Amino acid sequence: MEQLTGYPRPDGRWGVRNHVLVLPLHSAASLAAERSAEGLAGAASVGHQWEGIEGDPDQERIASTLAGFAANPNCFATVLIGIRREDTAIAKAAVRRGGRIHLVAMADHRGTAGTVAAVRPLLERLLAEASLTQRRPMPISGLVLGLECGGSDALSGITANPALGVASDLLVAAGGTSILAETPELIGAEHLLAARAATPEVGRRVLEVITGFESAIRDLGVDVRGAQPTPGNQAGGLTTIEEKSLGAAKKGGDAPVAGVLGFAQPPERPGLQIMDTPGHDIEQMVGMVAGGANLAAFTTGRGTPTGSAITPVLKIATNTAIYRRLEGDIDLNAGAILDGEESLESMGRLIYRRLLEVAAGELTSSERRGNREFAISRTVSPMTAFSG
Amino acid sequence: MSVTLRGRRRRDGRLGARNHVLVLPSVVCANQTATLIGSEPGAVAVVHQHGCGQVGDDVAHTERAFLGSATNPNVGAVVVVSLGCETIQGRRLARLIERGGQRVAFVGIQQLGGTFKTVDHGRLAVGRLRAELEADGLVEAGLEELVLGIAADGATRAVRELAEAARIAGASVVLAVPEGARGDWEGAPVIGYGQAAAAGISVVEQAGEGTEQHLALAGAGAQVIVSLRGPGRAPQGFATGPVLAVAGDPGIYAALEDDFDLDGSSAGAEDVWRRVISVFNGEQTASEKRGARDFVLHRIARTM
Repeated sequence: MEQLTGYPRPDGRWGVRNHVLVLPLHSAASLAAERSAEGLAGAASVGHQWEGIEGDPDQERIASTLAGFAANPNCFATVLIGIRREDTAIAKAAVRRGGRIHLVAMADHRGTAGTVAAVRPLLERLLAEASLTQRRPMPISGLVLGLECGGSDALSGITANPALGVASDLLVAAGGTSILAETPELIGAEHLLAARAATPEVGRRVLEVITGFESAIRDLGVDVRGAQPTPGNQAGGLTTIEEKSLGAAKKGGDAPVAGVLGFAQPPERPGLQIMDTPGHDIEQMVGMVAGGANLAAFTTGRGTPTGSAITPVLKIATNTAIYRRLEGDIDLNAGAILDGEESLESMGRLIYRRLLEVAAGELTSSERRGNREFAISRTVSPMTAFSG
Repeated sequence: MSVTLRGRRRRDGRLGARNHVLVLPSVVCANQTATLIGSEPGAVAVVHQHGCGQVGDDVAHTERAFLGSATNPNVGAVVVVSLGCETIQGRRLARLIERGGQRVAFVGIQQLGGTFKTVDHGRLAVGRLRAELEADGLVEAGLEELVLGIAADGATRAVRELAEAARIAGASVVLAVPEGARGDWEGAPVIGYGQAAAAGISVVEQAGEGTEQHLALAGAGAQVIVSLRGPGRAPQGFATGPVLAVAGDPGIYAALEDDFDLDGSSAGAEDVWRRVISVFNGEQTASEKRGARDFVLHRIARTM
């Protein structure tokens, strides 16, 4: 295999892409962010709907998400667009997390048009600088892989997820980091994961996070089964959340659980991590990328085209039919296991090899299409919180 | 003064101030496909962050928000873009929109076989619906056909005076004000989220706060929204309708002048009301000029 290459960052982390990101700090800055990056090769932007209204109970979680996303090592630099010059807390947090940050305030430019006019030359300068940095030989330990499944079917737990688990184990054995997430889809598998904890403390945290999510949902007075499995999961043959979970957890392979992370929290050591995120595909991806994931693998049974603005996402089909049907949206076919063409082991090795190729620069299907879904994850409905 | 409105007469009899084809993803996973379809001339694509992993009453609440935006008279036709495995099933949503009297087309990514095929089908649907829209003729009508939406943080004097001016002129007024901040309107008729505005002044329930309120007002049938935010708040628009953004204090107005329509510290209710009429009749608001496509869903439960 060719030597892995990437972009070394000043804080010791590695990027596998070299984007210049434009990230709004307020919903009203989303349009300016989009317009600023439009048509500039190498510039990426996302939009979101957070208004930062005073008293927001999720303020800290959302600020950490935005700061972590801005500081992801796949970004050469990030331009944050805020409303007022005085609002610097998120920019400072992003710098603390290793980001190279520029902050532009819309209030200094009379609104959207003036802000775009100010940001574009800044982006052009940063893109020119970024183009001068070259890929360098990169150790496997620089990879932080986000594991995800979305639009699962009954084959997810049989083909793509366990094959991805093999790939994750290979990465961890080589000194890399893997993040298993989507807490509601671990409900029912918590005992298995806790038993693999590297320390008793990690084991306690595994149980705490998973049962905590379950009871938070129960407190809402709703049945988990209302949303899980989703209508598409059920059409795909999944009958219960436990069945879905046992399949979902297989993405993490057999490696010991080295750590448990809060939403958007960066790992402190290599190895398999569990991050506490919702099962919502986009909120989960954003949480892992904000936690520093510079690479992602996403298995799908029903087929889904989503990606990330800054982290390459390798899509893996659980069955050959959906791989063929969604031609161009999916990168790899783990249905080959069912077709007798690959074993779990050989498919796992194939996924691992492709992940390294993607890290070295090969574009994934969602990158080619320009998918850049983004979502802000909340723990509390603002209405519920404000009405006490 | 005799004032008339000019708008599109919809098949259900209501009057539209704009003539949009809305491209509506039923789930965040269809955002990119919807955006690609929305590059077709005459279409407005929205993006949002939900439609999946939702539970309980929150599902129905989001579905009502989609339905309300899709059947607002400023929209003449809708293309629903679905992934296929989402909680809020796109096909069901398209049926509800059709039952609401709206022209609608449905495209599904999993059903049609991926992003590119879905974009092709969606673009063809936009072109076809665009032609059908011409059947909704431009007509003149009286002020009683105007539904004015007011989005606010509380029942301030500016809100009261504008609502009163509109009511006296014969328009219906629908207010989105957070619960507990309704002041004089604690006793006003309350309409459910997604229900049509009542004659006179009514308050929409569970409208949320900030830009979320724009969807609640669109769902009540408002053709023009006036945003009367408190001091320091940044201006936002709405994807498929005009929003007149009135600054809450002179400082924020000066800082973001290009994105506001009026400074609330100098513009009175009559100034705002006059602008409402000219905006209904085609004058573009600041958010329309800059192309803002704000579409913020109000949630009543956390994501799964």
